[in-house]
Amino acid sequence: MGENPANRETDFGFRNVPLADKQDLVDDVFRKVARRYDLMNDLMSGGLHRAWKDALVTAINPPRQTRAFRLLDVAGGTGDVAFRVVEAGGSATRATVLDASADMLQVGRERARERGLEDAVSFVEGNAEHLPFADLSYDAVSIAFGMRNVPRIERALGEAFRVLKPLGHFLCLEFSAVDVPGLDRLYDLYSFRIIPALGRAVVGDAEPYRYLVESIRRFPQPETLAAMLHGAGFRRVSHRRMSGGIVALHSGWRL
Amino acid sequence: MNEPPRDRHAVDPKLLEILVCPLTKGPLEYDAEKQELISRSAKLAYPIRDGIPIMLPEEARALE
Repeated sequence: MGENPANRETDFGFRNVPLADKQDLVDDVFRKVARRYDLMNDLMSGGLHRAWKDALVTAINPPRQTRAFRLLDVAGGTGDVAFRVVEAGGSATRATVLDASADMLQVGRERARERGLEDAVSFVEGNAEHLPFADLSYDAVSIAFGMRNVPRIERALGEAFRVLKPLGHFLCLEFSAVDVPGLDRLYDLYSFRIIPALGRAVVGDAEPYRYLVESIRRFPQPETLAAMLHGAGFRRVSHRRMSGGIVALHSGWRL
Repeated sequence: MNEPPRDRHAVDPKLLEILVCPLTKGPLEYDAEKQELISRSAKLAYPIRDGIPIMLPEEARALE
């Protein structure tokens, strides 16, 4: 390897920051927003994020029978995706939620308790680039709106591949680039003006949401991400744009 | 608020079966008393807080 990681830089929104600092900066964002994370998602997306997550759950396709099925949801702190999958699946469907933010996990665990899903959903604090799970452990690995916050995407993809069983499915739901003429201008206005203002009103701080909007613009285009999935070993790689390209659902299989 | 009963904070045994050290991917020993997961290969003890394993080397205790 021979590189000094302290000297390398990565993006944090529109700023470039030392690679080692990005995780701390991202942690700080989620410490600020944890309690109101799902509420803000509703407000910012006008409820659309529910439809996007439904599409993700349908693609994960947990078995309705009693066959065992294990999902790892990376960066899934508040448990939203994990709860949906466990509720959609049969009695032997289990989910592990991994997140780097203790505050987000705390919110997730409380919600699991309220919903009576403590036995079906486990929570682990950890890093997407260094998964603390054995090889070939999961039937599916998902990451919803989390890949943008990962400093080294290729490493996270390699780790997802490693922990998947053969015929395991990897799914990444992420913001993309709006490709509908007219809608793109409107989306820019909404992103850079309205969302930070909404963040200030609901969470009391506009900065985390300025980061959100900027990080969306810095995220690789679907074709670039598809090449990264291939590089990590995934096959039958595809993606589907939704809502005019506001988000894309990326898919790859470990064959 | 009362503390919830202790069993609510136990780590899921099925989860323990697949957890490994994030650095070495080596096995972990579960110390139920200290609530730690010990990686002999990395010489680190990862804490478990409120039943949530903290699998971050920067949060782990170094073993001699």
